[in-house]
Amino acid sequence: MSKLYTFLKYFFIVFWAVFVVAPFLWALTTSFKDFQSVNGGVTYIPWVDFEPNLEGWKVLIKSPAKGGVDIVEPYFNSLFVTCTASLISIILGTLSAYALSRYTFKAGFVKNNDITFFFISQRIMPPIVLSIPFFLFLSSINLLDSLIGLIVVYIVLLMPIAVWIMVDFFNKVPREIDETALIDGCNPYQAFLKVVLPNSIPGLIVAGMFCIIFGWIDFFFAFILTFTEVQLLPVKIVALNSSVTPWWSLSASALVSVAPLIIVAFIVERYLSKGNLSGAIK
Amino acid sequence: MAKIDLSNISHSYNPNDPNPVYALNPFSMTWENGNRYAILGPSGCGKTTMLNIVSGLVRPSAGKILFDDNDVTDLKTEERNIAQVFQFPVIYNTMTVFENLAFPLKCRDFSKAKIDERVNSVAETLNLKSFLNSPARKLTADQKQLISLGRGLVREDVAAVLMDEPLTVIDPDLKFRLRRNLKEINEQYKTTLVYVTHDQNEAMTFADNIIVMSEGEVVQTGSPKELFERPNTTFVGYFIGSPAMNLFDSEATSENAVKINNTIIKTNTNLSNLKTKNIKLGIRSEFIKIAKDQNENLVDVNVQKVEDFGNYKLITAMMDKFEIKSKVNRETEISGEKIKLHIPAEKCCIYENNKLI
Repeated sequence: MSKLYTFLKYFFIVFWAVFVVAPFLWALTTSFKDFQSVNGGVTYIPWVDFEPNLEGWKVLIKSPAKGGVDIVEPYFNSLFVTCTASLISIILGTLSAYALSRYTFKAGFVKNNDITFFFISQRIMPPIVLSIPFFLFLSSINLLDSLIGLIVVYIVLLMPIAVWIMVDFFNKVPREIDETALIDGCNPYQAFLKVVLPNSIPGLIVAGMFCIIFGWIDFFFAFILTFTEVQLLPVKIVALNSSVTPWWSLSASALVSVAPLIIVAFIVERYLSKGNLSGAIK
Repeated sequence: MAKIDLSNISHSYNPNDPNPVYALNPFSMTWENGNRYAILGPSGCGKTTMLNIVSGLVRPSAGKILFDDNDVTDLKTEERNIAQVFQFPVIYNTMTVFENLAFPLKCRDFSKAKIDERVNSVAETLNLKSFLNSPARKLTADQKQLISLGRGLVREDVAAVLMDEPLTVIDPDLKFRLRRNLKEINEQYKTTLVYVTHDQNEAMTFADNIIVMSEGEVVQTGSPKELFERPNTTFVGYFIGSPAMNLFDSEATSENAVKINNTIIKTNTNLSNLKTKNIKLGIRSEFIKIAKDQNENLVDVNVQKVEDFGNYKLITAMMDKFEIKSKVNRETEISGEKIKLHIPAEKCCIYENNKLI
């Protein structure tokens, strides 16, 4: 019985690992193939089934004048927009989440929970609903087709995620911790910065991770709100496509665009399994 | 260290309601510098509200709080220089034990030398010295509670250390040691300690003054002996002592005697000014003994059961329709079902409308 259990366990682990890793391996081999090795029947192993070459990768850094697409600039644009918008969203979101968790707000029938829900409701709407208002708004302040404009829009999109995660997190941080800090002589700002915030690092990391993911993968708004001056990575990757689908360079660009998220996942995983709040009050 | 005056304090959590519910009814009280107080009462009687008012976490709906005759009612918690220990240990997870203990001093800009000296001295008292450099979150629950306590004691000039059932999470043996520790700390540093509990034994062994509360009301303040022997109300008689005080409905028959069923019991209380017929006689089971050669204040009872608690025996008997309990030495032999018990006149408390006369 236990042998069967062990067998099944390992079987599923291996199955799942293959399920997750195989697409990446497939993309990796494809990125080194040429037209012939992709369209002339299935090929698997480099040097055996096909002769690998770097054409798919070279296209990504060659300038358009030389027949490439040059994703370097859009790549850094994406990094810059995602990181800046995430950072600002986390800062603003954490501050508002702390206020929503610790103080009572009331405006008529609107109370704390309603305000929190208002933030989340921004993400319930289909993005297409927001596209025209955003377009008109950015055009009225001359920020269409600019990095700053994209950052503004992304803050609007990412902050609800930060608020939502952090309100939930702060609600789980016992109020006694703040009260103790006040009794020990901190003012409310110091209590937040010196005591509550260091205890909330796991929450900040989760919120940061979600902001980075949602910012990084956005295609829709990047596509609608930019034209020629500024381009973000997802838009550029789609632009790679042509009448003959260049599977090799598409695969290569897919890998480089996933890379930052994989790095983030590795860093975050270490922090998530370490410091959590469970021991603060018990 | 300070003398704390609570003057006409009352608190309601819904003061704007037309019919506000008071968590704390108006009361006045003075806590003298350097004494040990226990606030005792069942859950939900307003004990924690009272503490939070003193520490400034709650602003009272009415009344004033004075520290050494200075009005602090409107001062914020951080400006009051008070220490509070909660029921569950609250520690700063991301800091070491040393940093936890030093935190209140750092917040108040003490010099590094002073901080080192105080933290080491408090850690010594609380047996935390060997953990000073470990992360606080790695410690056990009771060590964490010691840290909470230590943060309260590390400031020498703290007005009072307020403790809200601080020993709940700690095992009985350590509880006993910690209570003794607290007493020593109180004697050594002359810190005013206020201890909230619903456990009467804890209150009796710890404090020299006990404040008994019930339903938002301070019902009696006094030494453990006063509370035990002369409870102000039937509630205190019932709440303090194990078993609870024996209480019998009775009627006054003369200036100093009452009748329970058909037995006349003499008391040392003057009963000539009674206004109502709602009279109760209260007596501790510790004072009721099996009659030997006394010839008055005797009652005939039917023994229902005798429980041996090791260091004493508890007799539960029926005196007609009233149950009566008596605590006797464990060597006492109880012969037969029908026995005579003696109720000493000087230990009888008479309650009119549940208040002591």
